[in-house]
Amino acid sequence: MIYLFQLVNGIGLGMLYFLLAVGLSIIFGLLHFVNFAHGTFYLLGAYFVYDMTERGLNFWAALLVAPFIVAGLAALTESVLLRRIYHLPHTFHILVTVGLALMVQELVIILWGPVGGNVSTPGALSGVLMLGDFIYPQYRLFVIGLTLVLAIGLWWLLEGTRLGAVVRAGSESTDMVSLLGIDILRVNTAVFALGAGLAGLAGALAAPIRGVEPFMGVEALGIAFVVVVIGGMGSYTGALIAGLLVGIVQSIMTTLWPEGARLMIYLGMGLVILTMPRGLLGRA
Amino acid sequence: MNRASLHFLLAALVAIALPLFMRSGTLASEVLIFAMAAAACNLLLGYTGLLSFGQGIFFGLGSYAAGLTLLHTSVPLALALVLSAITGAVVATGVGWLSIRRQGVYFVMLTLAFSQFFYFLAYTFKDITGGDNGLLNIPRPAIGPFSLGESWTYYAFVAVLFLLLFAALQRVASSTFGRTLLAVRDNEERARAIGFPVRNFKITAFAISGAVTGLAGALHALLIGVAPLSNIDYHMSESILIMTIIGGTGNLFASVLGAGFYVIVSDLLSSIWPRWLLLLGGLLIVVALFMQKGLWGLLERLVEALPMGRKSSINSSIEPPIQPESEGRGI
Repeated sequence: MIYLFQLVNGIGLGMLYFLLAVGLSIIFGLLHFVNFAHGTFYLLGAYFVYDMTERGLNFWAALLVAPFIVAGLAALTESVLLRRIYHLPHTFHILVTVGLALMVQELVIILWGPVGGNVSTPGALSGVLMLGDFIYPQYRLFVIGLTLVLAIGLWWLLEGTRLGAVVRAGSESTDMVSLLGIDILRVNTAVFALGAGLAGLAGALAAPIRGVEPFMGVEALGIAFVVVVIGGMGSYTGALIAGLLVGIVQSIMTTLWPEGARLMIYLGMGLVILTMPRGLLGRA
Repeated sequence: MNRASLHFLLAALVAIALPLFMRSGTLASEVLIFAMAAAACNLLLGYTGLLSFGQGIFFGLGSYAAGLTLLHTSVPLALALVLSAITGAVVATGVGWLSIRRQGVYFVMLTLAFSQFFYFLAYTFKDITGGDNGLLNIPRPAIGPFSLGESWTYYAFVAVLFLLLFAALQRVASSTFGRTLLAVRDNEERARAIGFPVRNFKITAFAISGAVTGLAGALHALLIGVAPLSNIDYHMSESILIMTIIGGTGNLFASVLGAGFYVIVSDLLSSIWPRWLLLLGGLLIVVALFMQKGLWGLLERLVEALPMGRKSSINSSIEPPIQPESEGRGI
């Protein structure tokens, strides 16, 4: 029973990892831009929910608003700053985004203090679900449900809409897409904001489970990289499978060998790289 | 005087000038220790084109190797330092061998993931590394007849090692091997097509970089008497990389500038304002937008602006070309 519990936990965690990482993957596919500030969006999403609920705002309202604020900030950063450095080598992408991440992390400490805090589980879902012997927190089930709906919606957005077609075409050849008369700059900003908003939502959803602290962005960045490396860069399905895999392995490990849980994730990544250098579903 | 001798002279000047201008021997030692780490990082970034987020691994393991040997055995200091360098080199060979299977951004992400792996390894095996507390009370034994107890005598020891390693790295950089690394950096496919064993060259560069970084880590542990968990964490890798890029990746002395700037400024600012990293973040963005050749590039421009500007002697011929990123190419 404990393993079933951890399996379900792992699915929830894995779906959050998917939300966190899929934006990083798509942004790279489209913009060939490596974003070391991606964990920052997760951090901000969590802190916005924390701040709003501390001020007495309803959790659901905060959960709805926070990702959009994160997406808005990301769109602003993209169009004011990041757009200017796409043409530079990756070193400078990393330099700028590491700089941004540092600035935001310090701002978070200035605004909310170095310790962090807790976000209480919303009242309606603070109970547990009982199915015979199986007892499970309702909030975590809600997270699984919501992320599943979002994953399906995102898949439709990428595969079934005009924007998705442009994004997929842009991943193949940005120049060709611009030649066809599509304003690729606007598409870039939209995709960047979407990826950031999803990472922000992952942070917001994770806040009641794990609390908030200023260094959760760095941790999230590490996890997002592992998911993208295992799943394959630029692949939606890869991010989904790898996210679930990482989440489930991490959860099961917390029963078997708690200290080694995060160790196993990075070890697993090493193994995937050795056997499948392109990740599970990555393109060349 | 050729360029290499000039840069060595500049490095020696820094080593001599630090005691004249600084009150704390500990801080001065820290400048040179990180100068070694940054120069080793530069061998990968500036000369080979490999942006490694794993330098903290070698630095931290060097600290642990020296700490464990000195705490649990009574081997001479020199042997403990050699052991740290070997640890750094061996692990760097492994990390390099695995990471260079992928190029570009993938490579960077792999090195970062390895750095997280080793961090959690150190964190998990608390019995060996002391976990969060670090390895405490690491002794600083005498080297031969010289006691290193006093902070300025330890500085002198660090300075001698720094100059030796700096000269050694310069030799590596100017050798046929080093010149070939530049060819790999500028056009990997071409270097491979000519017939250079590119993989072996990259792994060797990693091993050398790891050895120097491991030694720097050991010297740092001896300096503060502790091998802290923070010596192996993400921020250590990040700091070493930042020092290297702020200095400029064109030549090894630039890394000395970068490390000196980072260590001294962080010491000054952190005492005034604990949130100084906010300013550092801003500085990184400024460097990326306006000072892509780092502090060294700035210095070059200043020298050229002088009326008697010695354009030819100070201009570096190996500045990495800053060019638009072509799809799928290395960093």
